[in-house]
Amino acid sequence: MDQIIEQYFDLGVMFDPDNFDKVLDGFAFTIKLSIVAGVLSLIWGLILAVLRQTPGRWSFVVRWPTIAYIDVFRGVPQLLTILIVSLSLAALAVGDNAPLPRFIGVPEWFGQPAPFWYGVIAITLTYGAYMAEVYRAGIEAVPGGQMEAARSLGMSYGSSMRHVIVPQAVRKVVPPLLNDFIALMKDTTLVSFIGLIEVVQAARDIQSETLNSSALMLGAFLFIFVTIPLARLVDVLIARQQAQTERGAA
Amino acid sequence: MSESTSIEQEQARGEPMLRLEGVEKRFGELRVLNGVDLEVKKGQVVCVIGPSGSGKSTLLRCVNLLAPPEAGNVFLEGTEITGELEEGVDFVRRRVGMVFQQFNLFPHKSAIENVMLAPNVVLDRGKKEGRTRAGELLERVGMSEKVDEYPERLSGGQQQRVAIARALAMDPHVMLFDEVTSALDPELVKEVLDVMRELADEGMTMIVVTHEMGFARDVADRVVFMDEGVVIEEGPPASVLENPQRERTKQFLGLVLEH
Repeated sequence: MDQIIEQYFDLGVMFDPDNFDKVLDGFAFTIKLSIVAGVLSLIWGLILAVLRQTPGRWSFVVRWPTIAYIDVFRGVPQLLTILIVSLSLAALAVGDNAPLPRFIGVPEWFGQPAPFWYGVIAITLTYGAYMAEVYRAGIEAVPGGQMEAARSLGMSYGSSMRHVIVPQAVRKVVPPLLNDFIALMKDTTLVSFIGLIEVVQAARDIQSETLNSSALMLGAFLFIFVTIPLARLVDVLIARQQAQTERGAA
Repeated sequence: MSESTSIEQEQARGEPMLRLEGVEKRFGELRVLNGVDLEVKKGQVVCVIGPSGSGKSTLLRCVNLLAPPEAGNVFLEGTEITGELEEGVDFVRRRVGMVFQQFNLFPHKSAIENVMLAPNVVLDRGKKEGRTRAGELLERVGMSEKVDEYPERLSGGQQQRVAIARALAMDPHVMLFDEVTSALDPELVKEVLDVMRELADEGMTMIVVTHEMGFARDVADRVVFMDEGVVIEEGPPASVLENPQRERTKQFLGLVLEH
């Protein structure tokens, strides 16, 4: 029994200043990656969702590629996208006749290393597709009369989307977007496969040195520390929305 | 602009504000309008009555091109508007205000923001000027006390009055009213009709689809009775409502007025 407890909850290993700092640094990196990729996914997802809704006779020219994109990136494992992006971009930017300029193939924007950006790009590609579907549900949940009212005032389709439909749609989907963000945060750990020391990699390094899993447990605790309040926040927001709908119906 | 001079020329020739010729509209297999002719002169109030499904609402939607007609022509101030493309459509709609049965206020915006939005976005009217003007319009519909209230906190009648102010904010030349009191509790109907009556008195050109026969009798210059996508009978309210010539009109009015 003691052995079991020691394997997972050895406070000496967990709170050894060296180990603790390593895991915490890893987690800080995870948070940074999550926020950058999360914000970009929110924006990219909204763009995709709006493109997917393009009206008009020739709109399929935009809609079909968008739908294809969303289907593909929701269907491919995140790890594969991360590997494909990181290994291909660099390869395309080296050599004499490289098709990609170096600043894209080996992105070191804002002082962050290239693998960080590979992670951001790959996660945004995937989660943009997920979030596009969430936004779409929100846009479709806005009553048709809203678009009619906006258009009958002489507003263009674009202005109507921007000022009337999208603001209402976004409000409706904040909870499911937050859920997607929680999932995104956990998926950022996959960038350990491309050599980034995020929280899981940091803890694994300690595990292989000490043969003790407490550092991994510490990483798990750190995640829970952030994700559980987020999950409760989602609940509160949903409850508030339900109260609002009931009032609206009364 | 050359367009506005041509409009003035047409008006000088006595063109009506609005003219429909043989307007047809289908939804899939369903023929909703089967060749409707209608003329509305400047300053006239035309009430359209008829059983549900007779195409009254669709007629309004053909006029502001929310549902563009498949055949026939619509002339607004002498200019044909059927076949207008995207931007032309927006331009037409600025001159044609519409008020809906379900109000359709923007729930994420306060009363005054609802009124200010389109002028701000479309006419590029400045925030400050727009706010002053919106305030005046809300006062005109008796809503100056609730300027910053959100739609969910307003009664149906109040929401509908804000919706009228919102449509007026674009300075339309014609106003379309699509059964605007049908979704209201009975005690809230009058406050909306009063606003519309005032608007009519001020000389606004209006097409009013309604079941309020009293309003049609008192306010309309002409009453149009529609059934199955065609105009069955039209004329001054006294003759259509009190002395209908056609069997269908008699039948309908008998059902509506008997209690």
